Amino acid sequence: MNTNKRENIAAYSFLTPAFVLLGLFLIIPSILAIYYAFTDYYLLTPDKRQFIGIGNFIEIFKDPIFLQSLKNIIIFVVFVIPIQVGTALGLALLINKQRKGNMLFKVAYFSPVVLSLVVISVLWLYLLNPSEGLINTILVNIGLDPQPFLSSPDQAMLTIVLVSAWQGAGYQMLIFLAGLQNIPSSVYEAGKIDGVNKWQNFFHITLPLLKPTSILIMITTLISAFKLIIQPMVMTQGGPMNSTITPVYYIYQTGFSDRLIGYSSAMTVVFGIVIGIITLIQHKATKEDETQ
Amino acid sequence: MKKQGKTILEYTLLIILACIFIFPLLWMIFSSMKPEEAIYVDMSSIKALLPSLHPSDWLETYKTLFARFNVPQYILNSIVYAVVITVGSTVVNAMAGYAFAKFEFRGKKFLFGLLLILLIVPVETIIITQFTVVHTLGILNTRLAVVLPMMANMFFIYLFRNFFMAVPDEIIESVKLDGANYWTIFWKIMLPMSKPAVATVGTLSFIASWNDYLWPLMVLTDTEKFPLQVAITNINTTQPVYTNQVMAILTISTIPLIIVYIVAQKYILQGLGGSGTGIK
Repeated sequence: MNTNKRENIAAYSFLTPAFVLLGLFLIIPSILAIYYAFTDYYLLTPDKRQFIGIGNFIEIFKDPIFLQSLKNIIIFVVFVIPIQVGTALGLALLINKQRKGNMLFKVAYFSPVVLSLVVISVLWLYLLNPSEGLINTILVNIGLDPQPFLSSPDQAMLTIVLVSAWQGAGYQMLIFLAGLQNIPSSVYEAGKIDGVNKWQNFFHITLPLLKPTSILIMITTLISAFKLIIQPMVMTQGGPMNSTITPVYYIYQTGFSDRLIGYSSAMTVVFGIVIGIITLIQHKATKEDETQ
Repeated sequence: MKKQGKTILEYTLLIILACIFIFPLLWMIFSSMKPEEAIYVDMSSIKALLPSLHPSDWLETYKTLFARFNVPQYILNSIVYAVVITVGSTVVNAMAGYAFAKFEFRGKKFLFGLLLILLIVPVETIIITQFTVVHTLGILNTRLAVVLPMMANMFFIYLFRNFFMAVPDEIIESVKLDGANYWTIFWKIMLPMSKPAVATVGTLSFIASWNDYLWPLMVLTDTEKFPLQVAITNINTTQPVYTNQVMAILTISTIPLIIVYIVAQKYILQGLGGSGTGIK
């Protein structure tokens, strides 16, 4: 009984720092977001805070900018996942071979990963400058038309897709590479005996065996893609014509810049639930992967 | 003959791809090592990806940048935030992981369940109410506000718990007989026996805090407390803006990450649960 009590006290003293911090910066903010979502809380007049039921939830779905942000993030996700994951897989397959200089290529493909999101955003802002950027200079030199990129509502989001894919592909390449190297060579040897050609090899052996890795990568990309904010914040401020505004960015703008805590919280709740559900699916998928 | 052709084709593809991936990084570094006018003069030739031909120019931009902005302060701030968060997050999460791995206590199931539920909360969406909490605590515009929310992390607690569970109970029992208390066991047995976990959590925490932008931007108003990431956008919008100086601050903020990625490369991948260490 005595040792039991001592163990209880010890355990709780080891847990206290983490749970106090989680409580302050994760649990309380989550509960507050749900609570504020049903109020008209304006940061500068906290005393006038009133309960307004589901008013905010009705308003946000009438808000053209919020709806636009949902549309934009879907465009981003739909393009960035195949482009980034496809590039990563392609690079991994190319590099998964003994050859001279392979290490150098691997380092080159991985190099954008070491740049922070702020750094890539600012850097590409200069590279993509419509009048004097390096990219348009190259395009003109090889006889193509210069492009407006970030200053065009049609091209801005796709430009952000490409920049993001360029930054993230190298990291996923390494994960694919680890997946490829986990495939036992005996599987391929068995295929060889059966007279399997290269393409059959790829589609019937490599790809199915990479499925768990691919699913894991796609879902984690999906989750982080949904939270896109830094690139549009630094590169376009959500423009031109709201073509790059994203939900998290709009939550930030309404809650932080406009101080409409209640309104912003309603979007937090809606969008947070969406991401939460996807994360749950991911946990399920990776659990199944583990038991395989 | 056919095989040789294929090899050449493969190498051409590999090299073109390598250029696409690495040229922005090279342009960034080398544009910081030449006079402003030269950047635009060099743009149409391969010289865009080379530093100035006069080595005396190489550090000129950096000198002017340091004269205009308090860059050493920003560097120091970033280092302080990153080190405090790295050490703090390692200790705090390891302690909680230890409790879950080696103690039987009342409410264990509940707290562990809570931890798993918290894993699905998308932190990025609750920034506004995190801000109101920091506001209420009265620590806005302090360095404490930058570091405290970055420390406790469910993934890291989970990771430590899994590692600590693998430490044999016999070892713990034998040092207990020698009179060691829980705290000594934690420092002298658990942590040293879980070096890969410590290295993984340390590396990932360092990178996350070094790259953090939005949160310090929200809670800090004094320029002299800015970390590098926030200083970058500040420098990029303070007139007059010079391309070479912006590239210089981008390069400065990237150097520590290059070192971390080289030194700790084998721990980086574990962030995605790619190697079955149990982080999910």
